[in-house]
Amino acid sequence: MRKLLGIWVVCMLVATSGIKAGEADKLFYALRTKVLTVKDYTADVRMKIDINRMKIPQLKGTLFFKSPNKMRLERHGGLSILPKKNINLTLSNLMPAGNVTVIDAGSAVIDGKKVRIIKVIPEDDMGQIILSKLWIDEANMLILKTETTSRNDGTIAMDLTFGKYASYALPDHVTITMDVKDYKLPKGITMDYNDTPPPPPKDPKEKKPKTQKGTIQINYLSYTINKGIPDAKFADKE
Amino acid sequence: MIQLLKIELYKIFKRPRTYISFGIITAIVLVIQLAMLSDGKSFLGFVMSGVNEQFDIQGNVLNGYLVTYIILQSLLIHIPLLVALVAGDALAGEAAGGTLRLLLTKPISRAKLVLMKFTSSFIYTVLLIIWLAIVGLFGSLLLFGPGDMINLKSDAFVMLLQHDVMWRYMMAFLFATLAMTTIASLALLLSAFADNSIGPIVSTMGIVVVITILSNLELPLFDKIKPFLFTTHMIGWKGFFDDPVPYGAIGFSALVMFLYTVVFLAATIFYFNKKDIKS
Amino acid sequence: MEPIIETRDLSKSFGSFKAVDNLSFTIGHGDVYGFLGQNGAGKSTTMRMMLGLIYPDSGNIYINGTEFNNSRRHLLSQIGAIIERPDMYGYLSGYENLKIFAALSDKNIKADRLHEVLEIVGLRGREKDKVKAYSQGMKQRLGIAIALVHKPALLILDEPTNGLDPQGIAEMRMLIQSLSRDHGKTILISSHLLYEIEQIATSMIIIHKGRKVVEGKVNTLLNPDDSLVEVMINPVEEITLKLASSAWYENIHAFEPNMITFKMNPKQIPQLNRWLVSEGIDVLEIRSKHSLEAYFLSLTNDSVIKN
Repeated sequence: MRKLLGIWVVCMLVATSGIKAGEADKLFYALRTKVLTVKDYTADVRMKIDINRMKIPQLKGTLFFKSPNKMRLERHGGLSILPKKNINLTLSNLMPAGNVTVIDAGSAVIDGKKVRIIKVIPEDDMGQIILSKLWIDEANMLILKTETTSRNDGTIAMDLTFGKYASYALPDHVTITMDVKDYKLPKGITMDYNDTPPPPPKDPKEKKPKTQKGTIQINYLSYTINKGIPDAKFADKE
Repeated sequence: MIQLLKIELYKIFKRPRTYISFGIITAIVLVIQLAMLSDGKSFLGFVMSGVNEQFDIQGNVLNGYLVTYIILQSLLIHIPLLVALVAGDALAGEAAGGTLRLLLTKPISRAKLVLMKFTSSFIYTVLLIIWLAIVGLFGSLLLFGPGDMINLKSDAFVMLLQHDVMWRYMMAFLFATLAMTTIASLALLLSAFADNSIGPIVSTMGIVVVITILSNLELPLFDKIKPFLFTTHMIGWKGFFDDPVPYGAIGFSALVMFLYTVVFLAATIFYFNKKDIKS
Repeated sequence: MEPIIETRDLSKSFGSFKAVDNLSFTIGHGDVYGFLGQNGAGKSTTMRMMLGLIYPDSGNIYINGTEFNNSRRHLLSQIGAIIERPDMYGYLSGYENLKIFAALSDKNIKADRLHEVLEIVGLRGREKDKVKAYSQGMKQRLGIAIALVHKPALLILDEPTNGLDPQGIAEMRMLIQSLSRDHGKTILISSHLLYEIEQIATSMIIIHKGRKVVEGKVNTLLNPDDSLVEVMINPVEEITLKLASSAWYENIHAFEPNMITFKMNPKQIPQLNRWLVSEGIDVLEIRSKHSLEAYFLSLTNDSVIKN
């Protein structure tokens, strides 16, 4: 049913866009090739996680990435905390792999730059990604924004700003916006009385939906690219 | 005054019973630390299961700071009893032992005696909290190492960076000292009424337990009185582990407890000044 | 010279119970003043009022002419006291207890003085023992040492022989006599036993149900001529006639067929006995006691007081 719906959406989009699919295809594959040239990197990052009911300070650390889908934040003895997703929050991971159907969805302007919007639908209907929408700075061959709808994790959006690592399609700054399911803190064993005396005043209008948006902002200060990272680095450690 | 205080402290710290409290704290802290050493991971897994479903947390979560928080959480309910053991005994114990009448035939004013009993109970409380800090905080840091602290509240998940935690503990201990001083002043007041020490100790705990229940009952009926119950404010030390620290609320809690302490102390002096010593 | 203690119309009630009722008395300098009354007569309450432990409902206490409540602290520094049991801190040694209470006395008391009073009360050598290991007698002695240490002019001792064995009582009596004689202390001592007061006091007061019954010098109150001699006899028919015609008639205090009570000096008992025998009266037993003692015993037996 979902597949039929997907095909119907694609047909509708193709019908309404009126732009040649071939150009968009080329653009996407060229971009993906560029992104995939980075096999691994180690980056000094400043990360700010902003999720409802989670108060996490800005985290300084080292972000390790290994293609295609390994990612780990290491905090020099501190705690690392990342949303647990079926897909990793990296650009290469948010772009569908394998054969895809690409649809040109017009253009837009981001920060004064004219960008091309394309929609990418993977042909492998078993993958996590159902649809990716990319905003592409064609002149620099950079993805400035993505919006990926996944099978299990809702929609994940990514806004990217590039600087000196633009040639590797590695951003200086990324803002990831995603759906976060409501999580439960078990009452009674949460090391908290149910009525802490100084509760921060809550907005009475704030009615918690089951799923909420959360954002993660990552500032990449420096990258070390394609120097090889052993897989052991990504093994679960205490 | 100083002479009287010295004597009061001398009496407190010459009495073997005084050290039982320090022993109890050490024992409870050690038990929790050992439990956390052997089974902390599964405890944490259970407590954090809701969070772990959504987030991937790596690193030394079960570090000294978190263990200390767990210790404080469990111990700060019991410390009022230990404080009451000394403060509740301060006047009533002397009355029961028959030394009060001998004491009051000496040229010292009753108000000064009450003040010095209060001050010595306060010093005892401070030492108790310092001891708790030593075995609880520094002991746990030694056993579990430092790290970023996760504070799971019933309505939020707070993460505090390692370098940002120690001052919070210091402030929490300071706040706990104030809270325990309020308990001490209540126990001292009840101690003035009684001629045996069990009464005030049990009554103090009774009052603390009953008011704590009222503080925690989520009934609209009690909502109006909750802000005026000192037990509502006793756990204000937890505010220091929130982000941002709700200074306004903590300050209000501290003020309420300070006022309670002053009222309890003034009532003790007033009553004790008029009391016929028949013991 | 003004009295060291004077109470005027002192009254104190606990609820509906009147513990002390308009009690007035004076104690002179150097007196050993016996405060006699059965248990619950109001002795301890009065003494506690003199020490500021209990507040009188009405009346005044003057010590050396100064109203007690006006100068409580100053006056307390001139008094040493034991009230009821001499309870101390059992977990401390005798010396530590003495040191603590000495330090509270407003005077700079040196270690020499502590040793001196321990010597006076006979506790040297045991001062380092914990008080909980002391016998009752040793506690009483330590209590007196505490009362004495700051060299007060007045000692208030509430039943200091309570709980002591006969030897302890004798030693305590000697100690109190010595404190009066050798150290010039004025001593107010309470007891519910007349013979105890009789042996050490110079003046005394008897109170009953909070009221003064009698007050005066011991040698006046306990005049031997006021002794009561009880003679138990086999009843004889003409006894009344025989007595009426004898010189002993004047001494008759009470008469029953088998017991006659005479008010007389006990020295005359042999004479009386000879006369009874000469008159053919069988004497079964002769007992002598002072009229005050008899009177006091009647109080203890809860008889009605006839003023």
